[in-house]
Amino acid sequence: MGKKIVIDPVTRIEGHLKIEVEIENGKVKDAWSSGTMARGVEALLKGKDPRDAPFVTSRICGVCYSVHQLTSARALDEAFGAKVPWGGTLLRNLAMGAQYIYDHVLHFYHLSALDYIDIMAVANYKGKDKGLLAVKDKIVGLVKVKDTFPLTPRYKPDEFCVKDPDMVISAVKHYIDALSTHAKARNMGAIFGGRTPHYQSIVVGGFTQYPDINMVARFRTMLDEQAKFVNEVYIPDVLAFGTGPLFPLAKMGLGGGHYNYISYGGLEKDPAGKDMVFPPGVIIGLDPKNIKIQPFDQKKITESVKYAWYKQDEPQHPYNGKQEFDLEQKKAYSFVKAPRYDGLPMEAGPLARMLITKNSTFLGLVKKGVKPGAVARHAARAIETKLVVDACYKWCDDLLDAMTKPGFKIHDTEHWEPPNNGMGAGFYEAPRGALGHWIKIKDKKIDNYQAVVPSTWNASPRCEKKYRGQYEESLIGVPVPDPDNPINVVRVIRSFDPCLACAIHLIDPKTNEIRKFIVE
Amino acid sequence: MGEAQKNLDRELEFHGISRREFIKYCAATAAVLGLSELELTTKIAHALEAAAKKPPVIWLEGQDCAGCTISFTGALNPPAASIILDKLSIRYHETIMAAAGHLSESVYHDTVKQGGYVLIVEGSIPSTDDRFCMMGGRPFREIVEEAAKKAAAIIAVGACATYGGIPAAGPTKGIGLDKALPGKAVINLSTCPVHTDHLVGTILYFLSTGKVPPLDEIGRPKAYFEQSIHDNCRRRSYFDEDTFLKDWNDPTQRDWCLYEKGCKGPDTYSDCAIRRWNDGINFCIDCGAGCQACASPDFYAGMTPLYTAESERSQNIMARKKAGLIPKKEKV
Repeated sequence: MGKKIVIDPVTRIEGHLKIEVEIENGKVKDAWSSGTMARGVEALLKGKDPRDAPFVTSRICGVCYSVHQLTSARALDEAFGAKVPWGGTLLRNLAMGAQYIYDHVLHFYHLSALDYIDIMAVANYKGKDKGLLAVKDKIVGLVKVKDTFPLTPRYKPDEFCVKDPDMVISAVKHYIDALSTHAKARNMGAIFGGRTPHYQSIVVGGFTQYPDINMVARFRTMLDEQAKFVNEVYIPDVLAFGTGPLFPLAKMGLGGGHYNYISYGGLEKDPAGKDMVFPPGVIIGLDPKNIKIQPFDQKKITESVKYAWYKQDEPQHPYNGKQEFDLEQKKAYSFVKAPRYDGLPMEAGPLARMLITKNSTFLGLVKKGVKPGAVARHAARAIETKLVVDACYKWCDDLLDAMTKPGFKIHDTEHWEPPNNGMGAGFYEAPRGALGHWIKIKDKKIDNYQAVVPSTWNASPRCEKKYRGQYEESLIGVPVPDPDNPINVVRVIRSFDPCLACAIHLIDPKTNEIRKFIVE
Repeated sequence: MGEAQKNLDRELEFHGISRREFIKYCAATAAVLGLSELELTTKIAHALEAAAKKPPVIWLEGQDCAGCTISFTGALNPPAASIILDKLSIRYHETIMAAAGHLSESVYHDTVKQGGYVLIVEGSIPSTDDRFCMMGGRPFREIVEEAAKKAAAIIAVGACATYGGIPAAGPTKGIGLDKALPGKAVINLSTCPVHTDHLVGTILYFLSTGKVPPLDEIGRPKAYFEQSIHDNCRRRSYFDEDTFLKDWNDPTQRDWCLYEKGCKGPDTYSDCAIRRWNDGINFCIDCGAGCQACASPDFYAGMTPLYTAESERSQNIMARKKAGLIPKKEKV
């Protein structure tokens, strides 16, 4: 039996996460992940007007708000029989595009970068750049007055931490710059979304914000600033780190996991939805030299509850998923169900998308020796941000074009009233990966609501076949030479961009109880 | 030029803000908070003088979605970086801090022991069972109660932490600080999520005056929550004339009143209609979606169904309109 360590809370993620790992001979031998908060978002929707769902499910997560709202609206679109006009789709996409850009930039600089740099190296900066010297003065000033919160305390920088003063100081400068840049990307989204966090204008059947040319012009001007930051700062930073000082971690493939990947597809480029920024697809057992993509078939999704606190049942498709807890199950250790595709655990997110898209920039890195894992996830995230930026320009053009044609529409008003009965599923690619919402309507009210989110795929516990979830599997073999300093563990977990408020939104409808996380 | 002014200029340069922009922001904040412009600028300049005196902050997240945190990081004037590094000493904030696990817990305990910090709470507290929200193996409720004891000021941010918000409508029956900390003085910044300006303005006010801003009877700063959305709504004359938007596709209806799409503006008190959101770019009513009264204590349960005029709230608005209790706006 190795030494067990617990990291609770795992910080710089969305939500409340606890990670427990068993360490033997300086490496992770086994791992368990558990969320520690629940609100019951799906449960409270039962009996409500279905049109409330996009507004309420947006509040599942204040970081990736728009994609819950959108995926929920898509589930409703199907259930209501609504056909979203191309204008409505373009507006939804522009709002989503802004979300992607802000979200990925925030994740790299503010949620992850501190794991990879020794911030105190700024003191050794010898250059003469005025802006960078201001950063040096600032950090050194904080150290002098012994108040470097929230940048410290931290795990001790290890041999992989970047200590080169020039690289570190520019990263810290970009951390500060990106706070403003990401906020401006959210403001850009609000031009159509109404405001952020939590857009207002995505509803069943389309969109509520009737656009004018000034809005499009304003969006495009703000997009120029984002494009500049993404192309000239974010992508170069990630590539310089990944192929430079972090190359040993990239080559090692730290945090690889199962090598199974899933994408539901999202961000349409044409009215028929045939051409997408992120096409759907599945990879089982990746061979980087010969990537085989299977078509995605939603019927193959099941959720196992074998190691989760639910009443025992065979794995079920989300439409038929039950939400009855059984808190007395001794083998259970998570509130997250275990989604599986064709019985297998999958990884959702940017890495999955860049592999399934066979993105040439990303595959170029793979050729250079970057193995799928924590560093590759950061690279995939940066590379796909550019794809979204480019698509936003195209959508601006398409929108201007559509607006000038007669019969321009943003909403399917004929299908605004809820059907007596119906069901619908919405699929999309959230910044964090494959997102699905399922709704059943009875007597014009919500009868059942279920969401399977990217972090459910990634953070899932074991299933009936005892396959570990993707977080757990990717921790196996991760070097932890000093159990008091498990910096590699948080690097791996944060590379997924966890969103635990998303993953855990179920509760026991009977007893309203939740049990403490206990590892036997 | 005094030392404080020099420091201020250096800070502005670091953040790439022109002095003019800064003064403009101070003027706006000062007016809203009832301070003279000079008073506020001087006070902020003095507050910047000694970094060692930055007030410690503990920011706790309970049953939340991190939306209020994201709203906070969206501050541009002054920028969030300046607030995080220069104005406050953020000891504990799960989404921002470098530390994790036992390191983060130890900072929390040290700060609580020391006392005198600003406590900011985001997210509700489950009232049916503590185990719905645990942190570091302890109930979130206990942590909030403990942290509240030695706090110099307590700010509840967002609908959940103030009055329960969406979790209040769910089976965990989330409660806000009004119920979780009875009798404690709490500054309530409702709206879902907290408005960036409301939070930043309240923090700056506290930093510059050392005082809590004047509050209304439910603990919200009067400066932000005294006026009704309806009084300042640009669609108001259409409400007065019963001209309600029916079709979002029709550009001629674009500015019509959103009452029939579920807007609860006449019953909601917040300055959104003047201040708007995201640096003034847009807000709920201007984007055609209507106000869902997220600043109100009974949000969300009291507002559903959101997108029709069938809710009790909407019916009540219409009844009062018909009874002449919602006066028409004088035509200019």
